[in-house]
Amino acid sequence: MSVAAYGRLRSKKRRNRTMNLITFVVVVLFAILAIFPIWWIFRTSLMTNAEIYKYPPSLIPDHWLFSNYEKTLKVFKFWKYLWNTMVIIVPSCLAGTFTATLCGYAFARLRFHGKSLIWALCVGSMLLPAMVTLIPLYIGWTRGLGFNDSYWPLILPYFCGGGAFNIFLIRQFIMSIPRELDQAATIDGAGYFRILFSIIMPAIRPAMIVVALFIFIGLWNDLLQQMIYINSSDKYTIALGLTNFRGQLKSDWSLTMAATCLSFAPGVIFYLIGQRYFVEGITLTGLKN
Amino acid sequence: METINKQQKRRSRIFSAEARVAYICLIPAFLGLIFLTYLPLVGVLGISLTNWTGLKSPVFIGFDNYIKIFTTDPYIKDSIISTIYYAALSVAGSMIYSLFIALLLNRKIPARGFFRAVFYVPYVLPAAAIYVGWSWLYEGNFGFFNYVLSELGLKKILFIADSSFVVPSLSMISVWLAGNLIVIFLAGLQNVPAVYHEAAEVDGAGGWKRFRHITLPCMTPIIFYNLLMSLIANLQVVTPALALTNGGPGNSSRFLTYLMYDQAFVNYKLGYACATTLIIFAILAVFTTLLFRTSGRWIYNEGGDDK
Amino acid sequence: MKTGKKLGAGLILAALVMSAAGCGDNETNTASPGSEPAKTPGTSSEKVKIVYSMWGSAAEGNTTQAVADRFNASQDKIEVEVQAIPWENYMTKLNTLATAGQLPDTGMLKEDGVIQWSSEGMLNDVSAMYEGSDSKPLDSLAYKYKGKTVAYAAANEILLLYYNKDMFDKAKVPYPPAALDQAWTWDQFVETAKKLTNDKNGKHPGEDGFDSQSIVQYGASVENLPWQLETWALSNGGGFYSEDGTEVKVGDDASVEAIQRVADLYLKDHVAPLSVGQTDDGIQRTIIAGTVAMATNGQWNVGTSLNTAKEEGLKYGVAVLPYMKDKVTISTGGANVVFSQTKHPKEAMEWLKWYNSEENNWDLISSGIWMPTLDKWYKDETLTRKWVENPNFPPYDEYKSAVVDYAQSSAAKPAAWFYTNYTTDFNTLLGSILGDVWTGKTTAKDAISKNLDALKAAHTGNQ
Repeated sequence: MSVAAYGRLRSKKRRNRTMNLITFVVVVLFAILAIFPIWWIFRTSLMTNAEIYKYPPSLIPDHWLFSNYEKTLKVFKFWKYLWNTMVIIVPSCLAGTFTATLCGYAFARLRFHGKSLIWALCVGSMLLPAMVTLIPLYIGWTRGLGFNDSYWPLILPYFCGGGAFNIFLIRQFIMSIPRELDQAATIDGAGYFRILFSIIMPAIRPAMIVVALFIFIGLWNDLLQQMIYINSSDKYTIALGLTNFRGQLKSDWSLTMAATCLSFAPGVIFYLIGQRYFVEGITLTGLKN
Repeated sequence: METINKQQKRRSRIFSAEARVAYICLIPAFLGLIFLTYLPLVGVLGISLTNWTGLKSPVFIGFDNYIKIFTTDPYIKDSIISTIYYAALSVAGSMIYSLFIALLLNRKIPARGFFRAVFYVPYVLPAAAIYVGWSWLYEGNFGFFNYVLSELGLKKILFIADSSFVVPSLSMISVWLAGNLIVIFLAGLQNVPAVYHEAAEVDGAGGWKRFRHITLPCMTPIIFYNLLMSLIANLQVVTPALALTNGGPGNSSRFLTYLMYDQAFVNYKLGYACATTLIIFAILAVFTTLLFRTSGRWIYNEGGDDK
Repeated sequence: MKTGKKLGAGLILAALVMSAAGCGDNETNTASPGSEPAKTPGTSSEKVKIVYSMWGSAAEGNTTQAVADRFNASQDKIEVEVQAIPWENYMTKLNTLATAGQLPDTGMLKEDGVIQWSSEGMLNDVSAMYEGSDSKPLDSLAYKYKGKTVAYAAANEILLLYYNKDMFDKAKVPYPPAALDQAWTWDQFVETAKKLTNDKNGKHPGEDGFDSQSIVQYGASVENLPWQLETWALSNGGGFYSEDGTEVKVGDDASVEAIQRVADLYLKDHVAPLSVGQTDDGIQRTIIAGTVAMATNGQWNVGTSLNTAKEEGLKYGVAVLPYMKDKVTISTGGANVVFSQTKHPKEAMEWLKWYNSEENNWDLISSGIWMPTLDKWYKDETLTRKWVENPNFPPYDEYKSAVVDYAQSSAAKPAAWFYTNYTTDFNTLLGSILGDVWTGKTTAKDAISKNLDALKAAHTGNQ
């Protein structure tokens, strides 16, 4: 390495360090703004109801009432709801991610008749708000197929490609992978499925995790459909349990917020696990190149 | 001659094998599209031509519902305006915000994992709780923001209680909720091949130049996806109206999907609601088509798309 | 490459196994509904099974199921199963159930849906329910469609004036009256509210140097949800509808003036916070938080929030509403109905009648959320004492006068949804029209006269 090159490298490093410092400060500022409403909900979960409505509002609870959480867990059957939710989410996530990848691959890489038509239909299906087809679908599932008070109407749709949004996402990611990669494999004599499984899938692992994450969160918060298909309280999910936690008029906000804080924890944990794979994603594509 | 023939033969054989694989891959999507989207849509179309209340049996009334929507409906005009206003603010806000945050979070900063989680958490929270939390911040008389304003000696802002502030206030929440866009951008940034950056660096390209000529072009498919997704999601907005404003004050937050929900499940006008739905569908289709039309011009397509 | 295939196959397999495991579990449940299939195989086969739906939390559902179990044990003909559905989505759920023809046999129905469901032929006539009984529900609590009683309210509720006693004591202002014959006029109400409104420097509205931008305590808050607003229109000699519910009267000068007076509490008198009728925690935000000295709201607040606040040290009182020309309060209550899709209307009615007797709703009544529906609780003092004398309530004399007597006085008028159709459409439209009236961007007169035709159309279901 020449002296000049060495000097350039050092000055670059220094510049990088100042840039990173500025970035860090900006990130911290934004993070404070972003976290503020969450803190607001959290501090509410530690207050008495009178304190919540006090003026001027306080940023920090007078007494940190962690007992609110104990009280909440007595009524809010967190573990039961969590199990029920998982029974819906796990198969949906796996099946949804897998079928979305299959479909996304077909749209991104394969040539076949009627591609643009099917693609247009697929995009079109995103334009319908879920509420619209609620009633026709409800009649179909319950009267047509006899699924009353059952999880199937919530799970089975995810065996059908996991929704157009997710197919679309996978397609976009596959399209951003250089084509030379699979062309090289074709020359080696690999079939389409082999290319999908051994080249495409590892390369778009970050996207697949993202899809799984979205299906997870989507189902986690999908109150409307769960409300309509599930009747008995021993089948309640987290979302239903949370709504049902509040009575008709009696809104005990501190306990409701405690239940809320409990109920979003699994989503965050799932994200934190998934995040490791986004980071890993770099090294994988890096190696491939 | 012979070689060309051979090649053609080979190509068509490949093509058929390729098509077969494609159809197998698409079986789930076929099923979903037919049974979960388009058959129900036909149902919706049928219902929109009746006066069905969802309770007693429907009577066919032709296009009466559509005529009513365009002539006497007291809400539809305000509703379309407020929906588009909201979507414009929210899409622009959340795209800029999420790309900016994703770029920052893609740099090597301390506690990066923690910060990524922070920006993402709003998206995980149950909607009902989010809006109740924000309602305390926004409250017109004694809310936190107004407390801060009055401490600073400024005039109070009524936020969601004022018809001219309600949509920006709600858009603000939607920008804050854009954690999913950040996640997609982050995943997309990981996919920008590192070799390009390394090569550019060796050539002496600066940070902005690299962003402009490498990151941005490689990200266009992802930017397009996020743009489309947030456009559709925001045009279909309903939760803030359901959870917080009930469409008010006045009609200033009576978004189209909320209007439809109200007609179908509160006022028992299922036929009318289905007609409204198809209008929402048409509006979305117009915007989506526009977006797709322009997309060819700015999307940089590395993998190529051969239809 | 092998790992790729394995991964794929593994994913599919795992998905199938998980769903089979999860849902297999459900199928056994669906095959034998009923909360505890193992326990009641012998008896239930002979009994008629009816499902009763109610809104409320899971805990409230369990309480009601416990009551139903007593009913189930008391006779050998009927077996009642309770289905609790969260309040926010109750009507959405019932609506989809109705569409699919899968309604429960009987259940609660939101006030504003009763007449419409009835006009669609979804409800049974329940006129015969109290034939030959010694005590009937108060007259104001029967839902009537075309002269027939289609439902009785499950509970009674009226609108009251709540006040924070500490705030009155501090300002040395006498409490609002609990007795109907001493009720304040609107002007007295506004005058008192002014004395209780302070800005940062302790000035009241009307005084020199009063700054309406820095008010720290308000004197009064009048809930302006459309259905509650009807009280003031009636009180000013107007109303939303004519007495038989056929005509729209909200455009009358008296009605418009009443609505403007409510808006002026914030706009001109500066005694009230801006209320946009978007959330149902009015009492928490005002009386309990100590930010507003007087607030109007429904009786249910005694049990939903004020009882806990009282335990935590809040001193509050109840009073009758002020009046403009006539003394008026509105009474209401969610309905208990028998759905016409049921195969067992008689049994459903028998259960409802049994369930509607106060002893069976004692938890809700003694906590202060519901008021009894049967007239004997209002007329027989020993029963009234049994109901009111418990720590959840304000002092007996005060509550007896401001609530019990008020509710059975001539001032108590049934809310419009007891006899008029399409109140939901009407109230939604009215609420949307008045949105800019509360902030002063337009006046009640302009807003209503501009939209009167639309309001009339909404009233006939033709909007």
